[in-house]
Amino acid sequence: MKKKLLLIPLIFFLSILLVFFYLLIIDRKPSELPSALLNKNAPKFETMSLFKEKKFVSSEVFGNEKQLVNFFATWCKPCRDEHSYIKLFSNREGIDVIGINYKDDDQKVIGWLDELGNPYSDIAIDKNGRIAIDWGVYGIPETFIINSKGIIKYRHVGPITKKIYKKINLIINEIE
Amino acid sequence: MITKNFLFTKIFISIIFIFLIQFFSINSYGVDPDEILKNKKQESRARNISKNIRCMICQNQSIDESSAPLAKDLRILIRSKIKEEKNNEEIYKFLTDRYGDFILLKPPVKLSTLALWILPFIFFVIGVFIVFSHNKKSKNI
Repeated sequence: MKKKLLLIPLIFFLSILLVFFYLLIIDRKPSELPSALLNKNAPKFETMSLFKEKKFVSSEVFGNEKQLVNFFATWCKPCRDEHSYIKLFSNREGIDVIGINYKDDDQKVIGWLDELGNPYSDIAIDKNGRIAIDWGVYGIPETFIINSKGIIKYRHVGPITKKIYKKINLIINEIE
Repeated sequence: MITKNFLFTKIFISIIFIFLIQFFSINSYGVDPDEILKNKKQESRARNISKNIRCMICQNQSIDESSAPLAKDLRILIRSKIKEEKNNEEIYKFLTDRYGDFILLKPPVKLSTLALWILPFIFFVIGVFIVFSHNKKSKNI
């Protein structure tokens, strides 16, 4: 009886070891946090549009079709890395790609898009980062997927990689 | 013997000295002078709130200590909310609505975080129980 009882700490220890090992091998990034805005309406805001001679009013833009919202800046290297994937999304049927330019210089953005190509149907300017805070953004690039009712269905922090590109494509097909 | 005692005293004084430095030093290096509010009462409220808010970029620091740009933005935002006469609950709610409970350095007591709060006490009780039952057995022998 006593010998059996002595086995309990060992089993306990091994099970902890197993949990740690499991967390180690699964594909998990502790720095990636779930969005508090999932399944909620896209935040409302009004700001200037980069190339249109009018205001960018979020309530007019969101909620009409499926949309991909991408926070980017020319000073952000990973934004340049993911740009080719953003372009792929803009060529895809059934999704509208919106850019939100974070703490940047308008002229630099225009030059950047001339060089790399422009995948965005409209770009909202977030000069002081206040819009990003409303979206819970903490590290650009960040990408949100919004359904045709204007509800946020997915958020990705960091550059879009091949794997994430495939994942987002599936999500776009799944949502309404 | 005298030299040995002398050495101990020296070490002891050094340790006390280090503790005193720690105690009297101001640990904040995040807040820039231009952010500070003129109203001292409002400023101390802002500092207290900032100390409870996690910097999302350097996740184990509060925004009060962090020099990350987002931390600065949030500090300024909190100060502007205080100027608008928002109360503390409203400010915390504003932040958790956007960034989730993770932005609070201290997790709130909720059904989903109950284990986090209660487990240490349960383990403590188990520990006390084991120690006492062990002692009893030893005495019997």
